[in-house]
Amino acid sequence: MKNLRNLIVRAFVLLALVATMFAVKPGDPAPNFTVVDSNGKQQHLSDYKGKFVVLEWHNQGCPYTKKHYESGNMQQLQKEWTGKGVVWLTVISSAPGTQGFVTPSQENEYLKTMNASPTAVLMDIGGTVGHLYEAKTTPHMFVIDPNGTLIYNGAIDDHPTSDKGDIPNSKNYVSAALTAAMAGKPVSDAVTRPYGCSVKYKD
Amino acid sequence: MRPYLSVLTGLLVALAPAYAQEKPAQHARVELISQQSSIAAGTDALLGVHFVLDSGWHIYWVNPGDSGQPPSFKWNVPAGFSADEVQWPRPERMQAIKELADFGYHNDVLLPLTLHVPASAKSSEEVAADAKWLVCREVCIPEHKQLQLTLPVAAKAQLNPSTAGLFANTKKLLPKPLPHGWKTKVISTKDDFVLSITGTRQIAKAEFFPLDPGQIDNPSPQKAQPSGTGITVTLKKSDLLVKPINVLRGVLVIPGNPPYQIEAPVHQPLQ
Repeated sequence: MKNLRNLIVRAFVLLALVATMFAVKPGDPAPNFTVVDSNGKQQHLSDYKGKFVVLEWHNQGCPYTKKHYESGNMQQLQKEWTGKGVVWLTVISSAPGTQGFVTPSQENEYLKTMNASPTAVLMDIGGTVGHLYEAKTTPHMFVIDPNGTLIYNGAIDDHPTSDKGDIPNSKNYVSAALTAAMAGKPVSDAVTRPYGCSVKYKD
Repeated sequence: MRPYLSVLTGLLVALAPAYAQEKPAQHARVELISQQSSIAAGTDALLGVHFVLDSGWHIYWVNPGDSGQPPSFKWNVPAGFSADEVQWPRPERMQAIKELADFGYHNDVLLPLTLHVPASAKSSEEVAADAKWLVCREVCIPEHKQLQLTLPVAAKAQLNPSTAGLFANTKKLLPKPLPHGWKTKVISTKDDFVLSITGTRQIAKAEFFPLDPGQIDNPSPQKAQPSGTGITVTLKKSDLLVKPINVLRGVLVIPGNPPYQIEAPVHQPLQ
């Protein structure tokens, strides 16, 4: 028991170091966060220990986000993977006055209109979670395993365009990572270059 | 008749959004131009795609950096003709926030390309391209246009006086091979690529633009250290880099010089 506590303490120290010094890499512990969702509920990453978690950086005005929502691709992924017990957290880091910034009610309205079903939408107005993960683009995808280890950091798929027509010919890296990890296999593309619009952080 | 009519209506409804997207480009005016007013059969001609951007808007270099997308072209040339890939003038570094850096162009840019004209070319030929690009300011908009150009074919090619100046200026911005005798070397350390340029005299300043995405950390400041006969530029490795690389490719910009192509072998240090 003492060993376990030691390990946890060490993990937290390491986590704090990682969070301040480097971008999160696959194999690293995914840094914890606490942020309010679009329903006003506090979301802690640590609440989801024991489950796979997907983080999806989002900006509803960005053409690359639109590619995956207007085609229904993102909604289909959310449905498929949450159906398999995965926690899907959509993160909005757009600062007030920038593209993609929405109020919680606007976001809930959008989810309804788009028929989107993430587990929750994190209203990361100050960009804290975005900076913690060094999210660069919308979309930018992260996958965390049930141990809280990051197993994927990168693009949604292998076609860095805003063209919906490319989706059927694309390899989806998030699905590939989840499929491999659930089968107990290593993730073959654990890091890819994310593509899309820049995340609209506060200057 | 009726089923056909409803199919037709359905088709029109389905096509409506596609037409709506055919509206002319809003933030970039894009044209296919030629350096020559007439081209000659059996020779090479120089064409270019000219982007003129609204103030404050930008498009992207072949390596866009951390966000964005380079313009793309689908060429449609007459039988026997062939078009090379476009060439990319040196980009500028665009960094609005400290975590992200992109590479691209403001104001206007010409992307030249060589058109191979066969001996069989007729008196007038038409070249077309389906151009797509992303134009951004605070927000990004994908735009596209069908480009078209009719080229008169004559016994002898004639320079086009209205475009020749633009082509000549653009040529100065295209990366050139390093001067004869200059050498490049890259040492891979744990966190950095250390790029050394050895020329004939000290170089005070240099900036490197990586051709391949995901090798260097774009937003990190580049540390340039003048040496006796050149300069050393320290480039932080990208977090995306998971395998060692054998060669570092890019463009080096030294103030007062033409941009240089860099293709430097990477040496892993002895442990």
